[in-house]
Amino acid sequence: MKPPRFRYFAPTSVDEAVELLSTHADAAKVLAGGQSLVPMLNLRLARPEVLVDINRIESLSYLRVEDGHLAVGALARHRMVEKAPEVAARVPVLQEAVRHVGHVQIRNRGTVTGSIVHADPSAEMPAVLALLDGSVRVVGPSGTRDIPWQELFLTYFTTTLGPDELAVETRFPLPPAGAGWSFMEVARRHGDFALVAVAALVTADETGRVKEARLSLAGVGGTPVRPERAEALLAGQALEDDVLAAVADAVREAIEPESDIHASAEYRRHVAGVLAGRALRAAMERARRGGEG
Amino acid sequence: MQIQGSVTFDAPPERVWELFNDPEALRRATPGCERLDKVGEDRYEAVMSVGVAAIKGTYKGTIEIRDKEPPHRYRLAIEGSGSPGFVNIDASMEFVPAGGGTQVNYSWDVQVGGPVAGVGQRVLGGVGRWLIGEFFKKMQAELRADAS
Repeated sequence: MKPPRFRYFAPTSVDEAVELLSTHADAAKVLAGGQSLVPMLNLRLARPEVLVDINRIESLSYLRVEDGHLAVGALARHRMVEKAPEVAARVPVLQEAVRHVGHVQIRNRGTVTGSIVHADPSAEMPAVLALLDGSVRVVGPSGTRDIPWQELFLTYFTTTLGPDELAVETRFPLPPAGAGWSFMEVARRHGDFALVAVAALVTADETGRVKEARLSLAGVGGTPVRPERAEALLAGQALEDDVLAAVADAVREAIEPESDIHASAEYRRHVAGVLAGRALRAAMERARRGGEG
Repeated sequence: MQIQGSVTFDAPPERVWELFNDPEALRRATPGCERLDKVGEDRYEAVMSVGVAAIKGTYKGTIEIRDKEPPHRYRLAIEGSGSPGFVNIDASMEFVPAGGGTQVNYSWDVQVGGPVAGVGQRVLGGVGRWLIGEFFKKMQAELRADAS
């Protein structure tokens, strides 16, 4: 399969890229790692008239811990995030999640920010963004703005990013010190998109009860989902079976999975509740050990 | 695929029926609808530009209102095609009194073909539901705008 005809631009600065996007707007697509876009081009599911390749904007290839955030530049590959000691130390749930993204070859090219603005709701990175209440920094003709995840994702593959805006950075707030975490997913094969994925973050008090718990799910609807009622049920509780059963019910209520050839909606709903319980237990285990490994 | 649901409107069925037969309101509420031209009794030609993900593209087609039973129900027969593929929709819309308002029950039978069908049922179903949801939200806004 070969892509349809397109015009190709390779800007070397953010300003230049934004100018190209303002000129071509809806006709243009941004190419970063190309691990989703290039297959879509080859299958002719995407037919942009113009490609704006940002791989030559070297200033976008970075990871930084600053102001309580992990800032991931638009050209930071999954592999860079996976291997970074500061990610392992400060945002281990992201490191664990990134290992579930495709295979090494895909992670060597694909970018974290690209995965987020591609907005596949089965992808791991949008779910981690939601778990950590993160945002995406975008630059457009009228300047820079941060879009919180709640305002970013509209539905399958659709965000509120303007056609003339370039995502330049993903901002993950650092989890609280001592928080336990877990990332689990069910997929047909390793490296496939998740049928269901669950990320959990838990802080515990001295008695081993939940102080605060967060859950985030992928693969269960058009956007990543934070099941708020399930999170609220967990505050002040020990993770006993009856609590986890109520949480599983609340998770299943919060989601609207679709059926496809890989799994029925009922199966996804069931798995979401089961995985939520497992992820919470694993996260609590880590929280009791003070948030280590 | 089948997309079903119901939406409540804050007006009696007669008024809601009027709204759902107003081409201007329908045009404004349909996501990406650029043109909706009357070409016959209850027959329209439409141009819709959809900006969503893999189904992005411009679609041209016809919309026919059939089996009208004012103010209770009608059917919409929609045929459209564009570079991403084609879509055929047989939609039934029912307007039921509910309290002082109206509950609109809809059942859309959507057939999609061509390259766009390759994105898979999960995505098409999800996006379809979302587009229909946006349409009803905007129709509710049309009703409110009209009332004020």
